[in-house]
Amino acid sequence: MSLPTDNAPAVPRAGATEESRPSLAALLLDPSFWADWASVVGLVGLVILFGITQPVFLSVANLQALLLAAAILVVLSIGQTFVVATSGIDLSLAAAVMLGAVILGLVNAAGWGVLAACLLAVLATSAIGLLNGVLITAGRIPDFVVTLGTLSGITGLGLIISGGEPTMVGSTFLLKLASGSFGPFGYPVWVAIAAVVVAHIALYHTRFGVHLLATGGQAESAAALGIRTNRVKIAAYTISGFCAGIAAILLVARIGSAEPQINTSLLLNSVAAVVLGGVSLFGGRASILGPAIGALMLTALVNGLTLLSVSAFYQPLAVGAIVVLAALIMRYQK
Amino acid sequence: MSAVHRTAPADAILACEGLSKHFGGIRAFTDVGFQARRGEVTAVIGDNGAGKSTLIRCLVGVHQPDGGTIHFDGRPHPFSNPDEARKAGIETVHQNLALIDELTVAQNLFLNREIVRRIGPFALLDRKAMKTQARAMLSRLSINVPSVTQRVRRLSGGQRQAISICRAAGSGAKLVVMDEPTAALGVQETANVEALIRKLREQGVSVILISHNFDQVRRLSDQIWVMRAGKMVATVRASETTGNELVALVTGAA
Amino acid sequence: MRIFNGLTLGASLLATIISAPAYAGDAKVAAIVKGLDNPFFQYMQKGIEEQATADGVAVTVQAAANMGDATGQADKLTAMAMQDYDCYLTNPISVSNLVQALVPVAQKKKPIVNIDSTIDAEQAKAAGFAVSTYIGTDNVAAGALAGEEMLKLVPKGSKVALVAGIVGDVGSNARIKGFKQAVEGKLEVVVMVSADWDREKALTAATDILQAHPDLAGFFAANDIMALGVERAVQTSSKDVKVIGLDGIVDALKSVAAGELSATVAQYPYVVGAMGVEACKAAAMGKELPANVPAPVLLINKDNAEASLKNFPRPGGDYPDPFREMLK
Repeated sequence: MSLPTDNAPAVPRAGATEESRPSLAALLLDPSFWADWASVVGLVGLVILFGITQPVFLSVANLQALLLAAAILVVLSIGQTFVVATSGIDLSLAAAVMLGAVILGLVNAAGWGVLAACLLAVLATSAIGLLNGVLITAGRIPDFVVTLGTLSGITGLGLIISGGEPTMVGSTFLLKLASGSFGPFGYPVWVAIAAVVVAHIALYHTRFGVHLLATGGQAESAAALGIRTNRVKIAAYTISGFCAGIAAILLVARIGSAEPQINTSLLLNSVAAVVLGGVSLFGGRASILGPAIGALMLTALVNGLTLLSVSAFYQPLAVGAIVVLAALIMRYQK
Repeated sequence: MSAVHRTAPADAILACEGLSKHFGGIRAFTDVGFQARRGEVTAVIGDNGAGKSTLIRCLVGVHQPDGGTIHFDGRPHPFSNPDEARKAGIETVHQNLALIDELTVAQNLFLNREIVRRIGPFALLDRKAMKTQARAMLSRLSINVPSVTQRVRRLSGGQRQAISICRAAGSGAKLVVMDEPTAALGVQETANVEALIRKLREQGVSVILISHNFDQVRRLSDQIWVMRAGKMVATVRASETTGNELVALVTGAA
Repeated sequence: MRIFNGLTLGASLLATIISAPAYAGDAKVAAIVKGLDNPFFQYMQKGIEEQATADGVAVTVQAAANMGDATGQADKLTAMAMQDYDCYLTNPISVSNLVQALVPVAQKKKPIVNIDSTIDAEQAKAAGFAVSTYIGTDNVAAGALAGEEMLKLVPKGSKVALVAGIVGDVGSNARIKGFKQAVEGKLEVVVMVSADWDREKALTAATDILQAHPDLAGFFAANDIMALGVERAVQTSSKDVKVIGLDGIVDALKSVAAGELSATVAQYPYVVGAMGVEACKAAAMGKELPANVPAPVLLINKDNAEASLKNFPRPGGDYPDPFREMLK
């Protein structure tokens, strides 16, 4: 996977041979360089900081656990990135995860087999994304309102179909998914890596990706050139829903049960990761690696603070401070 | 001054007859005849509200005329949307330029006609080919931008206009339609864009130009059409007219 | 540049926040509780920390970001499992969310003390471990205690209404179940509503219920916060309707002392936490732990409200504690 790309918050570019390239010193003095690389710099900074203060942090076991813990958020951040790239926002993301989990649990409990349950969960969350997209484009309702509405609607639906009760999912397949590993990484980490690769290719190496950024950047201009901006937006929300389904599978595998409880920190952290990743909330500018690294950074932050025995009271404060700091740095982005 | 032709010359790339367009009860224009010759720059002038922008929008498929016929390249059209017109070979340089700030010059030049490589069932962008071709397109028209990987956001108004025109001309268009291409530009940038339009004509691309600037119209175009109050009132060869005559035609003082 | 400034600033901040283990004792205990956004878990944390100081045990308390943060809680426990603790005190958000995180703990043969909310025994067994002991309050018994008090307060056959927490919440269900069992056949339950543990929702619901049932004699709310909301509605209606809550939070105790709430059933998260630490210490000393230890539950009415307030968050009187005996 080539890291620097046209729209990635990356300065050096392959293939721009005859064009002038700024010197390294000039690069380091340019605030927009730091803005573009905020999530990487932040992650490296955290790793150094925690590595010095708490050696356990850099142990192989902890790094593996950290990646495992980050997998769900990485997948969700990717979904959120596609939506934010169209200058939208998906507030129903965490609720969709909950519904996906509940459906997975119920279908599995009904004896349809865990694979069918996973498939149906992903289908359901993708359908929610599709619905969001259709309401926003065809219904001409602001994204904020639509996804807030579906957030509430899905919450109710999840409670209704689950009866408010958690469902145990004692599937060996899911247990293996959660605890097994291939090479150095657990399966959930591989799922997240696969999601990053596929999303990166979709964003930078397909017509859809360019049209997505064009739609997010200047929808009217994109439409004037014949890009079907409504379809692009619907696709972005559907991708977000699809990612929520994948996250739901990882979630159920991790906690062993499907619960009609919404984890609001997943939603907030997905937006935070997107911001940390240098994606413009006004659309048109996005990357996949940025938010993925942002998600890693947020997870590393909580992991490190836990290892350092910092009170749980300070942890949200630290996350909030970092997100606001990142947003301030983004102002230097050109 | 010659009368408005009713019959199209044989070398017309675009010809329309008896064209009219209404919006509800409001008449945009009626019974308009108009031709653009192949390889020429054809200008349409007129006061604000004379109907020239609506006429152009009918020609490129944004609006559908209520009556009359349009022939493009010898075949009857109307196009039901700009995409069809584009596919047939009519490119439009929009007044708002339709450039995406956050995309690069190369991405803008190939927007919605990206070059792809097929890999199995997947179509991946051929970014290298697009960059190379983008450079070639720009150098063919002597357009100067720092790099094709530069984001459009960082370009000047003149450079953006040039990119926009380059995109319109670059796709092998037979006819490029420009709506006030220099309206927002400074003196030097206007001169650059005019040079670009001349270059297009040298390369055999037909151009329809809407402008308020009579001097520019006389400098750039071969044939000038004059609209007034929803009617096509006159057409003159640019070489045979004067600024005063154009003013008189536009205002109806003649 | 800025980010480096930010990081140095963050580092110095961290240095001030990180509390070195307060007490270099003979055992290191890791505790993970539910969200600290609720006083219940704050008292639990206080109980853990004060007991640890008293027993000479070093303890680190971590908590989930909120009550929905099942994975976040597991992540934190996983991080703590990396470190060298002698005992793990766990209060899981759900019956299964900590199971996987506890596997490495079990592999290191460290005792796992389960407090307050249970870890599912089946899933633990499937993952290859069993908790060393469970310490918690019996919510059914607590609800029954509230029901018995209601029987004393209102005439036989009176109408009562129930205000439950979030739909499907296990704790809420158990408390309501206990109350219903106690009043079965003796009082008429006319309606049950869910007010999501929320004071304002409870107030609104109670107002509506009072309109619909003018002859209502009593309310039972599944927690004190909702009971206080219900009491506000009763006051506004100026009817004599008895309200009983459950939890024993300070505001409820004050309200009982002032003669507003009729009664509350106090549970003692402080004691649950403290007993957990005692269990850890006992395990470190090689004692055999009992599988199941009920935490004290006490009915608080006007007679003992003042005493309870004075001792808060500890109980007003003594209580049975098997671990205390072991540590003697």
